[in-house]
Amino acid sequence: MFSSIASLQPRQLAAQVLNFALVLSTAFMLWKGLSVFTNSSSPIVVVLSGSMEPAFERGDLLFLWNRGMDTQVGEIVVYNVRGKDIPIVHRVVRRFGGGSAPLQLLTKGDNNAADDTELYARGQDYLERSKDVVGSVVGYVPFVGYVTILLSEYPWLKTAMLGFMALTVVLQRE
Amino acid sequence: MSDSHISPYSLNDLKNTTDDALGNYLRGLHFKQDNSKLDFRLAIGYTAVVIAAVTFVADYKLGWDATKNGTAVAVAAYAVLNGVFTYWLYFVEKGLIFEGNREGRKISLASRTKKHTPTYFLTVTSSSNQSRELECPFTTWFTEDGYFVAKPFQQWLASTVDVIGGADVKSVGKSEAESSVVPEAESNGTPSASGADAKSKGTKRSKKKG
Repeated sequence: MFSSIASLQPRQLAAQVLNFALVLSTAFMLWKGLSVFTNSSSPIVVVLSGSMEPAFERGDLLFLWNRGMDTQVGEIVVYNVRGKDIPIVHRVVRRFGGGSAPLQLLTKGDNNAADDTELYARGQDYLERSKDVVGSVVGYVPFVGYVTILLSEYPWLKTAMLGFMALTVVLQRE
Repeated sequence: MSDSHISPYSLNDLKNTTDDALGNYLRGLHFKQDNSKLDFRLAIGYTAVVIAAVTFVADYKLGWDATKNGTAVAVAAYAVLNGVFTYWLYFVEKGLIFEGNREGRKISLASRTKKHTPTYFLTVTSSSNQSRELECPFTTWFTEDGYFVAKPFQQWLASTVDVIGGADVKSVGKSEAESSVVPEAESNGTPSASGADAKSKGTKRSKKKG
């Protein structure tokens, strides 16, 4: 199997490695391009909990848009709790400010009994639209996100997938 | 005979093995290989990869907000470079497998295959910028088991391409392969005399058992 690349000239080997590198970098740049287009640091997220049932279930894939800065009550937003890296997807239930004053939001999960005041960082009573919100949900695909959940719960899967991809692209000469 | 063998049913393997053998043969005949087209493609490709890598590291270290504008520029630059890369690969390189010169005579060889046809199509462009396409069945230099045999391949090349024939006189005129010359240029250039002779003497070569 490896004899097909063992006999290559150095330039040809460099070309094969370049093919694999381009697969990775194009995937990454497409992701970054989407980020730039939507103005969101993470334009596609996976729902991890059942706090928004029946609207969204665990494993749903959500598409975000972060260019609508005048978020209304009833919109579903994804936000990061200050100081933590966990994104939460909940619905906006109250607005403060807006217009000339910076917009602040209070959120609550549809399936939760209480609003998100308990979830925010200590001393934080509301979200800043410009700083904490990653984007508003504009569309979703059910169930497809389970692949991402699997990859994050079993990290060896990521390495295995990447290794397999590397083998097939570098050894294939088409 | 080479130690390794390929699947004689894989057109991709047949073409790649033949292309590699052609390169080795010509380099052995002291043709000086001109890698400028491949080098350009590698330069463009690796520059794009470096841009992506820098963007990745910057984003990892500095976060999204700080790198937003830089990322936008990087994405645009990457798209342009990728476009140039693809254009170069499909329109400039166009199947090129060997380009070089020997004793002042230039030669450029590009190969292709047609789906489900076990024939090697070789486009030869000489110093005078005229191209002709030669074709020869793979069975001429591959055994039934998929072993590559160098001699009939070299004989076919030396007999049909006069620049190679001039470099490897021993192999000229011995080719029994059924090969045909399909001239692409409108004007009749200077077809090699030995090539025409080989064509008329051609006998059908059956599968050679390894």
